[in-house]
Formats: sequence, C-alpha cells, structure tokens
Amino acid sequence: MARWRGPVLVDTNAIIEAWRIDAWRALCGGYALETVEECVIETQTGYQNRRPEQQIDRDALLAGLKAVHKVSDAERAAALVRDGEVAMLDEGEKALWAQALARSDAWVLCGPDKASLRIGVRLNLRGRLVSLDRLLDDAGFRPKTPLKDAYRQDWLLRTLVELAQREGKIA
Amino acid sequence: MAVSALIGQRLKALREERNLSQDDLARLFGFKDRQTVSAIETGERRLSADELLLAVRELGAPLDYFTDPFRLVGEGRFNWRQSNVPPAVLGAYERVAGQIIAAFRTLGTQVGEKPPLVRHSLRLTKTSRFEDAAEAGERFAAEHNLGEVPAQRLAEVMERDLNILVLMVTPSHAGVSGAACRLPDLDVVLINRDEVPGRRHFDLAHELFHILTWDAMPPVHVEDATETGGANRVEQLANSFASALLMPARIVREAADWRSLREDALIARLNATADRLEVTSSALVWRLASLELLTKADARAISASEAIRNNGHPTGLFADSRAAGRPALFSKRFVEIVARAVEEGRVSIRKIAGLLGLSVDDLGSLFAAHGVPAPYEL
Repeated sequence: MARWRGPVLVDTNAIIEAWRIDAWRALCGGYALETVEECVIETQTGYQNRRPEQQIDRDALLAGLKAVHKVSDAERAAALVRDGEVAMLDEGEKALWAQALARSDAWVLCGPDKASLRIGVRLNLRGRLVSLDRLLDDAGFRPKTPLKDAYRQDWLLRTLVELAQREGKIA
Repeated sequence: MAVSALIGQRLKALREERNLSQDDLARLFGFKDRQTVSAIETGERRLSADELLLAVRELGAPLDYFTDPFRLVGEGRFNWRQSNVPPAVLGAYERVAGQIIAAFRTLGTQVGEKPPLVRHSLRLTKTSRFEDAAEAGERFAAEHNLGEVPAQRLAEVMERDLNILVLMVTPSHAGVSGAACRLPDLDVVLINRDEVPGRRHFDLAHELFHILTWDAMPPVHVEDATETGGANRVEQLANSFASALLMPARIVREAADWRSLREDALIARLNATADRLEVTSSALVWRLASLELLTKADARAISASEAIRNNGHPTGLFADSRAAGRPALFSKRFVEIVARAVEEGRVSIRKIAGLLGLSVDDLGSLFAAHGVPAPYEL
C-alpha cells in the first residue's frame, strides 16, 4: 500500500507499543507524527500506568514528533459537545480527539482503544483510523517483536465492523 | 446519560450550590428568560460549546465538572465507619469512592442495565427497641436462608436479592472500615477488604441496616467503627441488627452451654464459635450478653481480655487466614459491567484502569479473580 503522507496523530498506547517493539525510529522516519501534550506526559515513567513500564526517553520521543499540540478548553468543549462519548476516554485520548476534530486538514489517527475507535465510528470518521501494524507495514518495517493484537490491522478491521454494527452505522 | 442531560444536571447542581436563581443564570448566559435555563437543566436544550465555555469561565468550575460522568455531583450521601481517619484523608477517599460508584452507574447504563425498580426497607424507626432491631436481623437471616454461617452469603444475598452493590475496596487509610452510600437510584456498601473477616462481616451487616433504614433514620456522615455502637442510638440499633443477623440466637445457644463455662474453657469456646461464625470474639461476647447468656460484667471483662484478641490467634494465624481469604477487589457484578463496557468500547481501558486505581496490565488479574472473561488487551 502507498504510504500516508499527511499528519498521523498518535496516542499514548500507540507510542508505548511502538517503543516496546523497537519501532519508534521507523515510525517517525516514515511519517509526520503529531500528538498532544497529555500523551507525551502519559508516555513518561511514572505516568504510563503500565506494568512493566517502557523507558521512553523524552528527548528521543520529542525529536521524532513533528508537533506536540496544546489543546485549548475551546477545542475540548467543542469535542465534548459534538460527541459526549469523548468523556469516556482517558485524558490523552480525549485531548487527541479534541485536537483532531479541530483540524481542517487531512489527518489519520492511530489509537487502538475500542472507545477511541468508537468515537471515530460514531462521527463517521472510520476512514481516518489506522493501525500501527499498517503504518509500519507501509513504511516497510517488519518488527522482530510481534505487535499485540489490538495494534494489528486485521484486529482493527474486525473491530471497526463490530463497532459500526453496534452504532447502527452499517446495515 | 446523554452529555446534554449531564451538563444540565451539573449546571443545576452548581447553581443551587451557589444560591443562584435560573434568572441569574439567564442573565449570565444572555438568554431572554429563565425558561431557556430550565430547558438546559432538564437536558431538553443542548448547550453550545461557546455557552459551555461561558459557564466554565463565569461560574469558575472546570470543564470536567460539567462533562465528567465519573463523579458524583450534588448527589450521593455517605455513612463512613472508621477509626481515627483524618477528615481530609476521608474526604479525599470519598471522592475516589464516588468515582468508582459513578463508574458502575455510568457503565451499567451504557451496557443497558436498568436501576432497580424497587428499594427495600425495614419497618423500624429511631424509637424502635433494640430487641426490634435484633428480631429484624434474625428474620433477615432466616428469610434469606443465610444458613448456619450467615456471614458467608450475606454479600451475595445483598447484591442478588436486594440489588445493593457490595464493593470490596482497599481504602487509602487502614482506619476506614466501610461505608454505605445512597444515590437516588442506587445503594452501595463499601467494605475494607484488608480487615479481618469478622470485622468485614460486621461492617457489612451494619451498613446493610443503614441502607434498609436510610429514610427513617438517616445515618451520620462519619461514625466510629465499634461493635457496641457508642452513644448514637441509630448506630446501636444498627449493631443490634448486625449482631443478630450474623449470630442468630438459635445457633449461638446451640454452640455451647454458655452459662456453665468458666475461664479458659469459656474463652476457648468463644474463640472457636466466633471463628466458625466468621465474626469477632468481641462481637460474640456482646451478642451473648444481649441474649443474657453472659452477664454484662463478664462481657466487659472478657471483651477487654487479650485472650480473645484476633479470636485467640495471637501469633497471627487469624491474620494469615485473613490474607488467604481476602476477597477480590470490588465484586463480580461490578467487574462484569466493567468488562462488558470495555469490550463494547464504552470506556477506554486507560480511563477505567485509572479510575479503579489499577494499572492497565492489572485489569486482566481483576477479571480473572472474578472468573470474568477478559476483554481485549492493549
């Protein structure tokens, strides 16, 4: 598949998984990665809420990101009013969606949590949702450590169908 | 709850807290009349993003106050059983407990659970006699078929038959024994799962009394965790109820010829019977006194004795068995709702893990502890 040339918004889960499988360099080498301040904080030791934590070097992380956005209250309010289910997300996921919904350009979002994917489905933005698997594959990177299921392309496609059916978005 | 209804509810709660009228709010928003405010408060009219920001700015409350479904605002009354917990610590933990309870309610609604249609209550009042409360406890155990060891199935019966959510928790302070919480559409009992079984069971039965008598005798916000009730009559009634429920007269009478036992033999039988009934020896002593199987003077002397401390397991055996039998966090019903909500994408894993005070990777263990199939993993 052709590699996506526009901005790729990545959430905490995607960053941590890319780091876990040693794919961060390949990922940021292949794409214009962007995120929000909340996600950067959530990737740092003590804030990951993961066991074990990944040792993610902040400088190396920031060097690989084309932009780290500060999300305003106006953007958060707009996202919450547009779909109240945004409130069911973690701070990083919530801020990333608020940032995405405030943009007018063509972006894609890599965030594997079903609740995050559900927002995309509900807002008819399914085509903007990408898996880490697909991004790496399109960039020509084959990880030595296997990705967890929720980051794989087949899982994403299956989950999007399931969510779309539940949301009444497909017959 | 739809976000427009949630925002409206929170706006109303904040308006009332600030002693503002609907007219005051209408002026603040620049509406022509208070009917628009009324429509927003009932969720009939959606607030725009700009209006929401105006509310944030003018009322001085964060955006999350209006939109976070995982907090209790203007609802939820607690009764805490505790020992020497600083008020600020208890207040902080009440917010945490409120988030857990709100999570259950929000996620339950999301996955299609309906709140209980009927709320149970006991026909007791503040003027009821202690004997009446004890009789109610005895009847509760009998009518719900709690069997020879009523403590064992009490939590299950409370959840299944009375629709009371019973959550085993690890509070931030060891002095928190438990709590009852009443919401308009939900009753909850929280129990410190790190306490010895006897105390846990007594706290559970005690809080059950508060839930079942909340309207007739609203409990105080904070009470001392004793098994005799101190000076407060409602707490004394709650203890009479709990004591009789966990130690029905027939079972206690059949356990020994209590009046004939003396000194070491009495202590040994007390500790053995308390272990069997999964109560504390101290609670059993006072139950025997209320049944006139022990004199009050003997009860006072024995309850102060080291020989019944930890039900006579001074080397920590009781503590060891407590660790082995420590209940899993929360409850199966609670965990089932969480698992369904996660699986259906109703809540993000990072969000719910944070609310429950767990890491993302600990959630799997929580599901396994209750035999609930784990949803997907991140």
